[in-house]
Amino acid sequence: MIALTPPTRLRSGSGYWWHSYRMMVRWELTGLRLVLPVTVMVQILTGAGFVLALGLFFGQVPPRAALFVSTGVLVLTLVTIGLVLGPQLVAQQKAEQTYDFLWSLPVPRTTAALAWVTTNFILGLPGMLVALGVALLRYDLDLHVSPAVVPAVLLTLLTGTMIGYALAHALGNPMLIAAITQLTIFVILGFSPINFPADQLPGWLAALHRWLPLAPMADTVRAGLTVGVVEGVARSYLVLGAWAAASVAVTAAVLRRRG
Amino acid sequence: MSDGYDWSLRVRDLVKVFNQKVRANDGISLTVEPGEVYGLLGPNGAGKSTLVKQVIGLLAPDAGTIALGPHDLVADPDAGRQLCSYLPQAQMPIASFRAREAIDITGMIRGGDAAAVARRRDELIEALDIGEWRNTLGARLSGGVRRLVGFAMVTVTPGRVVVLDEPTNDVDPLRRRLLWQEVRRLGDAGVAVLLVTHNVLEAEKAVDRLAVIDRGRLLAEGTPSSLKAEDRGRLRLQVMLAPRSETPPLPPFVEHHTRVGHNLMTVIVEAQAAHAIGWAQELIGLGIAEEYALGATTLEDVYIRLTGDVEAAGREVPG
Repeated sequence: MIALTPPTRLRSGSGYWWHSYRMMVRWELTGLRLVLPVTVMVQILTGAGFVLALGLFFGQVPPRAALFVSTGVLVLTLVTIGLVLGPQLVAQQKAEQTYDFLWSLPVPRTTAALAWVTTNFILGLPGMLVALGVALLRYDLDLHVSPAVVPAVLLTLLTGTMIGYALAHALGNPMLIAAITQLTIFVILGFSPINFPADQLPGWLAALHRWLPLAPMADTVRAGLTVGVVEGVARSYLVLGAWAAASVAVTAAVLRRRG
Repeated sequence: MSDGYDWSLRVRDLVKVFNQKVRANDGISLTVEPGEVYGLLGPNGAGKSTLVKQVIGLLAPDAGTIALGPHDLVADPDAGRQLCSYLPQAQMPIASFRAREAIDITGMIRGGDAAAVARRRDELIEALDIGEWRNTLGARLSGGVRRLVGFAMVTVTPGRVVVLDEPTNDVDPLRRRLLWQEVRRLGDAGVAVLLVTHNVLEAEKAVDRLAVIDRGRLLAEGTPSSLKAEDRGRLRLQVMLAPRSETPPLPPFVEHHTRVGHNLMTVIVEAQAAHAIGWAQELIGLGIAEEYALGATTLEDVYIRLTGDVEAAGREVPG
């Protein structure tokens, strides 16, 4: 028989944080084990599909359009998991009443949130790379990969994941969460200047997108992969940075909240 | 305790109001000592789960205090989560975890080191007799086995307080006994066990002390025998009525009664036992009843008297 010794002191500090973070990443990945291959495959097919469908649509694709779509698709694969799958998982936890157990686990809330961002990165990365590879093979792209793509991708991932996360945790009703994610994906795919330049949108919608996070996500990632295509990238970083900070702050507040 | 702190769980004057009108907890005070298995009994909606969710920091009380050791769990919900393990009433989200894996990861999340967690996990798997499912995915486990895996998850690295919300739901009678033995072991190790249930007969066997709560208030508290002491001098006469029979007029020695289906449960004055048997035999003779049983009052009778919850009376309780 093992002697059981209940804890007498609280854990704290960086060792506790790091251990909790690693354990929560493991928890998330194990929890997704049954859907992981399918999810990654869907991301890959969506990404590659978008790139190839453009060619089917137009036959002869203008180089600028090919460049826009090929770089925009990366943002799509990065943010759809965080903005759609994430909230749906939380909605499921709430519907199945497993939410309380997960939030009773003794880990710093920041590690749970960051473990989810990490999981999103792992789920989204293969789709992103395959989409880029397919684009390079299909179109004669003029890519110039700079180190700036790293912060752009990370900021995009963080913001997309945290917006979805804060939304899902703040809303009580699983049905409402599902409805909002449907609407989100609709707006992202159809009415956001991710795969095409903003000036192709009606003026008011283009103006609105100057302040929403989606266009800045596409601009910063695209600026890290191309030269001379994106203008005013500094402003995009500022807007995206503000969204990142706000989404992290809202998430932190939502996770600290008790009913 | 050797570190000089009082590791009892101390709940004082706890009030939790939902939507500004439902007083789910209405001034509850109780203390669970280290090593004690403390039952929280009450009908559905009595406020039991609301109470434990405040202990583990998922809900914030409107008034009152919760303390454990030197920690104020209301002001510091993180301390509550570190020091209290929680088995919720709902099933665990482990569809894609192997049983062994789910126990290991939660054990390590709770701060156990890998080797100690592995040893204790093996011990729990053996003690609960779930070895044949150790590598089975949660999605393929029956409800009862999944429940036992959940129990192992929250007790592999137990906190100072272990909160168990209906731990034996769906568990078969034999393994229920094994589970209660493990609950007792937690107590022996100095853990304060807070057991939430509306299964009165099971609680009577498993707990050291218990509280009956209803509509957010604590109605009675004590050991099972002290709560039954008020019923000394009384007996329970259970009459199985014939199908479609109305409840017959009750003689004056029946102190109170409840009816669930055909089962008429009465509490009678002991000195009138002979008359009561005569009455029951007469009912059978008239075809109103089919059989009867006379016995000592149980905690269930106390519970029904306090809460009026007749649902518990009709329940069969194995184990």
